[in-house]
Amino acid sequence: MKRWCALALGVLALAGAASPAAAQAKDALVVALVSHAPTLDPHMHFERVGILVNINMFDSLLHKNRKLEYEPSLATSWKTLNDTTWEFKLRKGVKFHNGDLMTAEDVKFSFDRVLEPGKEKKKSPQYGNIRAIKEVRIVDADTIHLVTDKPFPLLLERLVFFPIVPKKHIEKVGDEAFGTTATVGTGPWKFVEWKRDQHIRLEAFDGHWRGKPAFKNLIIRNIPEVATQIAEIKTGGVDLIRNVSADLVPELKSHAQTYVSSAPILRVHYVELDMREAPFDKKAVRQAANYAVDKQAIIQKLMGGLGQQVATVVQPPTFGFEPEVKPFPYDPKKARELLAQAGYPNGVDITLHSAFVEFRPIFEAITQMLTEVGIRVNARMWDPGPAWNKFLQAEGKATNGYYGSWGNYSVFDADAVLHPLYHTEPGGWIGKWYTRVEGLDKLIDEGRSTLNQAQRKRTYSQIQKLIREETPGIFLFTQYDTLAISKRVDYAARGDEWLWLFDAKPKR
Amino acid sequence: MSPFLVRRLVRLVVVVLGVSLVTFAILHASGDPVSLMMPEAPEADRAVLRQALGLHDPLPVQFARFVGNTVTGNFGKSFFHHGQSASALVLERMPTTLLLTVLSMTLALMVALPVGIYSAVRRGRTVDQLATGTVFLGQSMPVFWTGIMLILLFGVQWRVLPVSGWDSWAAVLLPTATLSTFTAPLLLRIVRSSMLEVIGLDYVRTARAKGVSESLVIWRHALKNAALPLVTVTGLQFGLLLGGAVITETVFAIPGVGRLIVGAIRQLDFPVVQAGVFMLAMIVVSVNVMVDVLYLYLNPQIRIR
Repeated sequence: MKRWCALALGVLALAGAASPAAAQAKDALVVALVSHAPTLDPHMHFERVGILVNINMFDSLLHKNRKLEYEPSLATSWKTLNDTTWEFKLRKGVKFHNGDLMTAEDVKFSFDRVLEPGKEKKKSPQYGNIRAIKEVRIVDADTIHLVTDKPFPLLLERLVFFPIVPKKHIEKVGDEAFGTTATVGTGPWKFVEWKRDQHIRLEAFDGHWRGKPAFKNLIIRNIPEVATQIAEIKTGGVDLIRNVSADLVPELKSHAQTYVSSAPILRVHYVELDMREAPFDKKAVRQAANYAVDKQAIIQKLMGGLGQQVATVVQPPTFGFEPEVKPFPYDPKKARELLAQAGYPNGVDITLHSAFVEFRPIFEAITQMLTEVGIRVNARMWDPGPAWNKFLQAEGKATNGYYGSWGNYSVFDADAVLHPLYHTEPGGWIGKWYTRVEGLDKLIDEGRSTLNQAQRKRTYSQIQKLIREETPGIFLFTQYDTLAISKRVDYAARGDEWLWLFDAKPKR
Repeated sequence: MSPFLVRRLVRLVVVVLGVSLVTFAILHASGDPVSLMMPEAPEADRAVLRQALGLHDPLPVQFARFVGNTVTGNFGKSFFHHGQSASALVLERMPTTLLLTVLSMTLALMVALPVGIYSAVRRGRTVDQLATGTVFLGQSMPVFWTGIMLILLFGVQWRVLPVSGWDSWAAVLLPTATLSTFTAPLLLRIVRSSMLEVIGLDYVRTARAKGVSESLVIWRHALKNAALPLVTVTGLQFGLLLGGAVITETVFAIPGVGRLIVGAIRQLDFPVVQAGVFMLAMIVVSVNVMVDVLYLYLNPQIRIR
């Protein structure tokens, strides 16, 4: 028995010596993500986890600072020449990681690679983002014109994540190698290695035009399990984790090794109501549902205060937000009255669906509050996945409504939430199934068809007043992005959920 | 080749074909990968992609093509991992999963054999009672829970082992221990009960009467006969361990096949799921054939038909 104990102790001691947690290098910044995108090629995927890696290796024409204002990046200035032509001046002397100079040719190549003019089937999943661009014209060595097919007010938003890639290099190594082993950009860190399902290792690029980032090595680990991420950050195995849920915030806030940083983001929660069928075909019932839900209580009790109540679905930081439109107050008495007026004095039975599993308690609270005023809810929670997508998105069968969220694909413009949620055009997202508000389609179309920002603002103000009145959904709140960060690193969460790690500094 | 082996190999092919058919049917019933890949694209664009992926053909045609390709070892290209072959994705991760499974099985046997025998010999004593209690505990703990508890103890509280990863031998210890906790109790119970059964038999008494030393009686005479049920269960457990590896790989962030397949199911990446399930099924079936062969060796009286 003694021999066994000695052996076990020996093994433990050996293991302790080899522990990477103990050997964490000072000049390395380690970030945990729940997964990696299938490729490092910034144009060939559409995944948040991929974008978060790409932005640290590539630059786009524009950048957004911490306050989410546009900043020059590979373009030093820009202006519109007419309703459909935009001019960009390119930064001079920008180097790719392989030493080549970035040229107007590279910029045109980057766009054409996604647009694939003349091709029927586009291979980039980001094509939809920039499909409005009809032509990319090189005017001279450092001037580019982007020509859109019609006025496209979202262009600048789309260019904040549109990485410029090296033409010559890609033509030499091919698309596949570019996305896996030979990734080259102009960003603060350059590619070193990618161990599948383990980590992506990057190294500071000496020739980066902004200067050198504070951390020499950037390691992006793939850790799917949240509990494991938490254990890693507590022991120094990683320096930053994302999406910390409200129940974990107090623990990580008070921990000796970590602090918590959060910022309000675009992701807005709502219950989309099915206006095609009773009882939500009646405005009074929809309004009753809005009065019935105590949003402040949900924010305080279930989200640890990390939420911001909204009057509609348009998020406060977006262009077009109308502060004059006020949220529905919590008023269960008024809700009962409205319900009775609508012809349901004894209440009504409905079904609500959701596949938003991480927010199950909120779904349950909403259904409970609705039931209390007489809108008796049969709540159905789905496993997010193919069956749910088919049921909801492909066939629109989720009557009488569903609880979900929308993140605008990080586009800070009212159009990016109004069109998918409420426009009824056949190719549209979810509005085509649920929303039946007279005149709303026309207003949304109006908002996206001019570059006159003052006029657009008026249109969106009008839309928000209209939907506050017609209530095609139960309007809830926007969420916060919450990071847990090691105390040896100085960084803060951003409203666009980016991990722009050039801003990360060692704490002394 | 003996007729026995031939029959086993035929059965192997039947089983693997059956597994493929079931996987194929469930996958195709679970939805349309194209609408998942391009959720906001117009139907016409989707049709083009469906055509390109061969998903527009009738199901029997698709299955026939799948079987045909499988015979030549070609599972097609992953829908999700751009242009990479499904079998390469699986094969790249297979050694990790096999290593984890084999190490866990070894560790489980290393614990179960001595402790099981010891508690059978000392039936009813403290060691036996302790072992029986541990069996109960071990069998009632789900793998993910055990994993997280071990992380909290060894990684966070005592800081002697890395929390997760797969880049050092130290990192291998916790997942291996986690997975063994799942198997060891069952094996221990089998060892103990079959030893108990054998120990009271006449031939053991005879051996003792001849003056054979106690350790020789136990290890040579008793164990060989007690080993049959153990071998069966070990073979069956191997399949379960591969399944348990899925969860362990997720908890410990290990780059294995299980994690790949789970991800592929979520993304409806048909070729990867099919390749993964097919290869795992092959392994499980092969292990069972090996068990059968081992039977013949252990007890020549057994005639398997």
